[in-house]
Amino acid sequence: MFKKLLFATTASPTCDNAAKVAFDLELKWDAKLFILHVLGVPTRGYSPFVTDTRTGETEEADPDYIDWVIEEMKNTYSELLKDSENSVLETIVGAPHREILRKARKENVDMIIMGAHTRQEDIGATRYRAIAGSTMQKVAKAARCPVVIIARPCTTCWKLFSNIVIGTDFSKPAEHAFRWAYKLAKTVGAKLHIFHAFDISSGNYGQAHGQNEIEVKIGAARKKIEKQYIAKMRGYDNYSIEIWEGIPYVEILKFAREKQADLIVMAHHTRDIDPELALLGSTVEQVVLRSSCPVASVNHPDKVAEADI
Amino acid sequence: MNTITLRTDGCITANGKLVESDPLMFLGHKIELEEGYTLRSFFRLFEKYAILAKLNVFLPDCIEQYRACSQSQCISDDIDHLEFNKTVEMIGFPGEPRLEIYNALCGVREKETFEVRSFRLESLLDMPFQLGMLKHIIFGDKVDVFEFETVFSLFEFIDGIVWELSFQGTPKECAI
Repeated sequence: MFKKLLFATTASPTCDNAAKVAFDLELKWDAKLFILHVLGVPTRGYSPFVTDTRTGETEEADPDYIDWVIEEMKNTYSELLKDSENSVLETIVGAPHREILRKARKENVDMIIMGAHTRQEDIGATRYRAIAGSTMQKVAKAARCPVVIIARPCTTCWKLFSNIVIGTDFSKPAEHAFRWAYKLAKTVGAKLHIFHAFDISSGNYGQAHGQNEIEVKIGAARKKIEKQYIAKMRGYDNYSIEIWEGIPYVEILKFAREKQADLIVMAHHTRDIDPELALLGSTVEQVVLRSSCPVASVNHPDKVAEADI
Repeated sequence: MNTITLRTDGCITANGKLVESDPLMFLGHKIELEEGYTLRSFFRLFEKYAILAKLNVFLPDCIEQYRACSQSQCISDDIDHLEFNKTVEMIGFPGEPRLEIYNALCGVREKETFEVRSFRLESLLDMPFQLGMLKHIIFGDKVDVFEFETVFSLFEFIDGIVWELSFQGTPKECAI
């Protein structure tokens, strides 16, 4: 399922959890792992100087400097590189999100793996700042392959996954997310939990929904899941359907914890918006921020169209 | 500033008198914690004043988790106590200069702080709880941090704690 993986890293402790998963995936799936660090933004066109994205200091991007950065990356990941058989370390100068996307497209990778925050110090104050790392948001928005965001230590190897939650809002991107989640669940033998949250908050704070109305909506959503998803599963019976009412991101997090989910799969945004124009959906962002398991966002059909389902 | 005391049994007292109902009018009051206050005392607050649980969308879920925990001995050996503090931070790079003020709940061991999101709720409930200082950080300089005495309102206290608790803690299993 994964032949080529791209691990986009800041090469700092913020990406350590993601690094473990990336190297583990490389070994377990016999994949080729590209470890990419974008070291700085050129100060101006063709300038030999770069502004380091982390320190903000100007550095001369000569071969010595680039070799030094690669050497630093080798030191950072020395333990993980010991067992690695098919990984390549690379550094590029440029705007991080653009270079990550360029690399992903060039190598036609099956998945991009990233940490959730770009700067360690952002963690304490995520409340009033851009919550998820801005590079991650931009990559997740535009990538044509699934992007897995890892914010916490991962507790289960991907091949041992037993519970995968797919959160759907019945949009087109959610359909792609479902196909990818289903393919993964089938491959690793995990139970696929198809989850929908009936949003009782959107735009109507304070307006109470009657129990009957909620039950009708839940019944309709169940039928929609059966028609839109279950019918495509061709006899695969290791699944469950759950529909809860509430605020979507709160409910999906609760559900994932209850099921001890190993992975949450979602489409990037909650409405049918042109993926090129959409920002990272607020539901996904909230889930990425708080989830204790990795979150995969799938937006494009490219890598799921090949799915043999 | 009007002051209220949060008791270990979850009750609020104002000027020595027990607040029986309508805790909302005390949200802007400065808080003091009774001796022996813990995170468990914090959750008892919502048992006494159910309306306060509506202040944050994650609160009902946090309360559910709290109810599933043991009645005692929910402690961690990795931290000495929990601390609720306030940070005023001037940020200049990258991006536009800006000033941010936020509250945070963290674990403290000696002088080192730890994020509570890496702990499970059942290892925090009975840890001693303290109100901390206001930290003033200028342009990311975490070495020369100024510290000042400060006050916390009841709203800041509830909202700040629930913000931290809304992050799902690290699951029990750890295989890698």
